[in-house]
Formats: sequence, structure tokens, C-alpha cells
Amino acid sequence: MHIEIGYRPAQAMASVSLEAGESIRAEAGAMVGMSTNIRMQTGATGGLLKGLKRSFGGESFFQNTFTAEEGPGEVLLAHALCGDILSLDMPEQGLFIQSSSYIASAEAVDVQTKLGGFKSFFGGEGLFVLYATATKAAQILIGAFGGVEELACDGSLVIDTGHLVAWDATLDYSVGKSADGWLSSFFSGEGLVCHFRGQGRIWIQTRNPQEFGHAVGRLLPARER
Amino acid sequence: MLRVDLTAGQTLVAEAGSMVARQSSVHMQVRMNANTSAGFWPKLASFLIALVRKFVGGETFFVNHFSAPEKGSVWIAPTFAGQIGYRKMHNERITLSTGAFVASTGPLDIRLKFGGIKALLAKEGVFFLEVSGSGELWFTSYGGIHAVDIDGPFIVDNGHIVGFEGNVTYRIRNAGGGFMGFVASGEGLVCEFSGTGRVYLQSRSVGSLVGWLKPLLPG
Repeated sequence: MHIEIGYRPAQAMASVSLEAGESIRAEAGAMVGMSTNIRMQTGATGGLLKGLKRSFGGESFFQNTFTAEEGPGEVLLAHALCGDILSLDMPEQGLFIQSSSYIASAEAVDVQTKLGGFKSFFGGEGLFVLYATATKAAQILIGAFGGVEELACDGSLVIDTGHLVAWDATLDYSVGKSADGWLSSFFSGEGLVCHFRGQGRIWIQTRNPQEFGHAVGRLLPARER
Repeated sequence: MLRVDLTAGQTLVAEAGSMVARQSSVHMQVRMNANTSAGFWPKLASFLIALVRKFVGGETFFVNHFSAPEKGSVWIAPTFAGQIGYRKMHNERITLSTGAFVASTGPLDIRLKFGGIKALLAKEGVFFLEVSGSGELWFTSYGGIHAVDIDGPFIVDNGHIVGFEGNVTYRIRNAGGGFMGFVASGEGLVCEFSGTGRVYLQSRSVGSLVGWLKPLLPG
């Protein structure tokens, strides 16, 4: 599998070249174009329960698997929002990914939904996290809203959950309020933050999709009933 | 953003509402999206099509003609965050999806083409613009414009088509995976291009953005 990312940073799109028989699993709706020898299969990866868990976590219930048949083929994948795409080699210890940032991964990557727990329901910025692991060398595609920035965490770091994209599973994380009290957290406009401890890499996005959504959504006419 | 410097006597045709600024020496005239040289019947036909298009596609069917008796500049910007593609046409033909047209100069002929009944179902690609002749053409996208030189079939998601040129034919079909693929893949309908030529696609789709925004609308 060979991945090339063009139109960076704002309009990033990934072209994935697949060898015969290789496949890549992608979020529903991510496909832009593909060669005709690519077969697309739609299914709830991991069965009904996993699918439900996934859709609960802000991802799509169904996912598509693209497989190159009879020779190599190409699939073009992109994200709904304007921003960059990261193509990462799966680290040995695995990766945590903010669920709405996930675009696609090689078949060897196992992706599980972790529910963020009690706190994420109250923060307005639910933190739903995917845990990706791979048993062999494999790649994963992650989409950001805005630019993407790699931070090195050495000790501890606090990051707004709306700006989080992914982080090394070597890090310990916990979701919490941004200021000392619930009231000041609420007024600070920061919502929830994620506290990291340990050594590892963290990828952040320069725009916050929830904030953007609320700012724009408010201005639009009410939904038709 | 595009800046076009017009020399005396030149005319620029641009999508209605796309002008950002113009020097006061440049005159603007609103025209219907019809070929200037067309007779009465083609004009009537294009008026009817324009009306349909207005209802179906929600798009503007007027274009602005900027002409400069002396020289002057016009600044043009498309609606969506994306690239502007440029193409110098030498007696060639290019087909664009309706939102992709930005501006043109020279004796280019712009016609609306009906994409077929299936396109109506897809809601996207109901009409295409067929631009032919010689002149300069600017077109736009939502996201980056990705050109794929095809020699044989290639599939593009309907929401990501910018245009195509050359000896290319297309048909609309579902993305694969049978009925499940059609209802649940999130890909909807796709366009299968075949032949030899170039297909332009965009790295973002307006439909996906709308889909993402929908749950955030006030109840």
C-alpha cells in the first residue's frame, strides 16, 4: 500500500495505491474516486454491536472496504471538513484517535471504540476515542479540521478536547474540566480538556469542529420537521 | 481570487455574484446564461432550462458580462473554499458540473446539458455545462482540483465531480456492494467514466459538509 497526500493543508486528499488483493477500510462517505477494479463492500465491521458502538461514538455505523482485484488499483479518500490529512505508520503500542478524525486504515489495523465515560456526556464536547492497534506494519489515515501539529509530550500536557486528533497509546490520559470549578470551566469557554501524562506524541488540529459547528449552525434556519 | 486585466474591447463572462471588485472603467451587464450568438429559439429554450435549473439546482442562471471600453481590471472569487483552475481552449470542448464555472473570455460557447433521469435521482449532476470553442476558461472546486488522466474506466463520487474533457463518456451507477452499498455506504451514486481523456475532481464535497452541519441546526 502506498499513500500520497495532495492539496495540503486545507484541502488534503489521500490517494491510496493498492496492490492486487490489498484492501483498505474507510469511513462511510470518504471515497472521492477509484479505479473500476476496486471492489467496494459495505458492512458493519465487527458486527452489529460494534457498529452500534461506533455510531454512538460519532463514527459511521457502516464502513466500506475497498479491495483491489485483478491487479493494482487506486482509491481517493477525503474528509468532509477542510483540513489536513495525516498518514501514520502504526506504532507498536497503538494509537488513540478522536473518533470523528478517523478516515481509513489498512486491513491489518484493528480499531475499537472506547466510550469516553460519564464526563463526556456533560461537556458538550464528547470525547469518543478509538483505540487502533496493528500486529504488523500498517498505515492509518487521520483527518484534521484545519492544520495538524505534532506535539511532544514529555511529562504532562493539557489539551482542549475539541482540538485533539490522536496520541500515542504510551500516554495516560484523563478527561476533565479546564478550570478549578465547574462554573469557571463553563465560563472560560474551554469546555473539557484532556490531561496527558507520560512520554509520547500528540497530534492536534488548529480548528475546533464543534465550535465551528455551533457558530454556523446557530445562524441557519431551523430544521424542517 | 482571480484578477483579470481586460484590454480595451475585451469582455469577461463571469458567474453572477462572483465579482469582488472592478475598476470603474469596467462596465457590467447582466445576461441570461445563453450563448450570445444564439437566435430566438435557443434563447427561449435556455430560458426554460434556466428556470428549471433555478428550481432543481438552486443555482444562478444569470451571468455577468464585464466589458472594458478602455482597459480595466475585474476581481472574481468563487463561493467555496477551493482552487481556481485555468484552461486555455483551442477549439476544444470541456464539460463542467454546473457549480464549477467561474469565468471565461473569448468566443466560448456555453451550453447546458441534461445529465439524464438517473442524475435527477442523484440530485447531483442533473445538468452539466458544456464549454466549447476557443478562449480562456476559469473553473473552480470545493477543495483541491485533482486531474486524473484516464485511459479506461474510473469511478468518481457524484459530489466530487468538477468536469471532464476528451473522448470520455460516463454513466451513473451505484458504488457497488449491492443494495447495502447503495443505502448504507454513504457514497450514494457514483459516476463511471470511460474512454480516454481527463477527469477533474474535487477533494471536498458540498454534500458532505451539509451532511455534517445538519445535526447542528437549531431544532
